[in-house]
Amino acid sequence: MSPVNETVTEFERNARVVLERSISRIDARTRSRLNQARHAALATAAKPQRPLWLRGATLMPATGAAALALLLGVALWHGEPAHRPGAAIEMPLPEGQGASMEDMDLLADSEALDLLEGWDGPFYEWATSETDLNGESDG
Amino acid sequence: MSEFATLASPYSMPAALHGDVDLTDSDEKTRSRALNQFLAGVELKAFKMAQAALRNEDDALDAVQDAMLQLARAYAARPAEEWKPLFYRILENRIRDMQRRRTVRGRVFAWLPYRGDEDEDEPDPIAQAASPDPQPVRRLELDEAVGALEKALTELPRRQQQAFLLRTLEGLDVAETAAAMGCSEGSVKTHYFRAVQALRAQLGDLYV
Repeated sequence: MSPVNETVTEFERNARVVLERSISRIDARTRSRLNQARHAALATAAKPQRPLWLRGATLMPATGAAALALLLGVALWHGEPAHRPGAAIEMPLPEGQGASMEDMDLLADSEALDLLEGWDGPFYEWATSETDLNGESDG
Repeated sequence: MSEFATLASPYSMPAALHGDVDLTDSDEKTRSRALNQFLAGVELKAFKMAQAALRNEDDALDAVQDAMLQLARAYAARPAEEWKPLFYRILENRIRDMQRRRTVRGRVFAWLPYRGDEDEDEPDPIAQAASPDPQPVRRLELDEAVGALEKALTELPRRQQQAFLLRTLEGLDVAETAAAMGCSEGSVKTHYFRAVQALRAQLGDLYV
């Protein structure tokens, strides 16, 4: 064995003695806490563990409820229900006649009331009948 | 023959069942006792290692406790010879997690003013009780050496510190140390050699 190795071995031996001394200086409070931790670990090991699938099943109702709530929220946020039970089935309106948010804005606008004041009913009726007649003659 | 078989089974079944239950209980008790003995044997050394790495007593206790729980919960059924490398591997992972978390916490709370150690309280008289030691002068010398070695250990790179403590304090061989550290035996030798060199350079030959 080389002198270097002998010195290392001596160092290791001394270091071990010092470290053992260091262990013996650990106070009673820490020893007690470690002792408690050990018994807690052993008690945990003694308890029968539930299988993984059963642990997953515990969370199923909560997950299902959360998913349902999310689905309901999305449905309410993104539009009207397709069909309410007991209500008459609504036929789709022709293009341009459906109420949209823009129409609602126009109706709510105070300037729209000004337009109504200058309403010329007979003129619009005449214009509509003219359009219809032209359409029939073209077709 | 058939009558004998019919008569024999009701009597033999309870005896067999009873025997099986006893055997299982006995096995469990034996294993629990062995695990208790193993943990009792390593807990103080593990605490010292965690303390050297984390430089905090409470964190070190938490790390050891978590490692004990994890070993008992997940690896108690493994052969007893595997417990030691497994336990130190778990402990090392836990220490690393705590160091990472501490780094993050340090970054987040770096701007807060220092409020002192909130956990600081009156010294515990039980904790202060001196352990029995025959030679006061020898004790003083050893205590000085302990302080110097502990300080030098905390200044070592983590892997060197781990290799040195597992080999010197826990007495693991190179293969077991490699299993505990999750690296090759060659790496263990390198880390250990560098640790010894660094400690010797700082402490001399540590004659005690």
